[in-house]
Amino acid sequence: MATERSAQATWQGDLMSGSGEIHEVPSGAFGPLQVTWASRAEEEHGGKSSPEELIAAAHAACFAMAFSNELAKAGHAPERLETSATVTFVPGTGITKSALTVVGSVPGIDDAAFEEIAEQAKNGCPVSGALKGNAELTLDARLQN
Amino acid sequence: MPRIERHANVVWEGNLARGSGLISAGTGAFEQLEYSNAVRIGKGTEGKTSPEELLAAAHAACLATSVAGELTRAGTPPERIDVDANIVMDEVEGKGHQIVESQVRVRVRVPGIDEDKFRRVIEEADEGCPFSTLIKASAKVSIDAELEG
Repeated sequence: MATERSAQATWQGDLMSGSGEIHEVPSGAFGPLQVTWASRAEEEHGGKSSPEELIAAAHAACFAMAFSNELAKAGHAPERLETSATVTFVPGTGITKSALTVVGSVPGIDDAAFEEIAEQAKNGCPVSGALKGNAELTLDARLQN
Repeated sequence: MPRIERHANVVWEGNLARGSGLISAGTGAFEQLEYSNAVRIGKGTEGKTSPEELLAAAHAACLATSVAGELTRAGTPPERIDVDANIVMDEVEGKGHQIVESQVRVRVRVPGIDEDKFRRVIEEADEGCPFSTLIKASAKVSIDAELEG
């Protein structure tokens, strides 16, 4: 069954001096969020989100779910997974990389199995599927029992 | 050109069916957004976000920026750009769930541009939007653009 999720944004003015707003999302979970070219393309973000940060959030969230599922299927449902994604944007070139990390508390699993299942989840999650081929995907997985 | 990094983190507890997670942005722009599998694949959202909603927000914002950039470069800076992005996830045989499409609707108010030039600008904006390029590995990007008089 197909699932659809939508969101809206408005931009006013030219690129450098104008600004945009991601409207409150239809679920009501977040927003409105202000975006500008400077806060997106310079190191100093000024507390503003950007498309790259939203992709990082989507990727970390997707990976965490896929990993919890793969672990449970292998008989090791996790107690807790702390994941992060760092997305690299090179203006003029594009989005070049998403680096995933995970620290997991998973009873009864060894390091090797944990890392192998993490790798499967990295390759299998739908957001990874949409990014791979065009961006480098990396994973640093650490078991902390 | 500088390399810009943006990160986000998630804490997930439990298995897929009954567990849930909290999503936080590195910038602090949003924090501890709850999500779960039931909400991700269900029809109702119960006030919760999902990876696909975050991608829809990313695409809408990315394309709005690109259209603003291309119009500015073409010498016709925009007054207002409205973008609506709809991310579709579906089960693909042998591959499980995949992001299969992003359907984008763009409405632009900009003085002094004709329809042909507007179409070219939209194409260039799609090619120049890093998100559009990024997801083309698995997803089709369709853009419906309208020039408002």
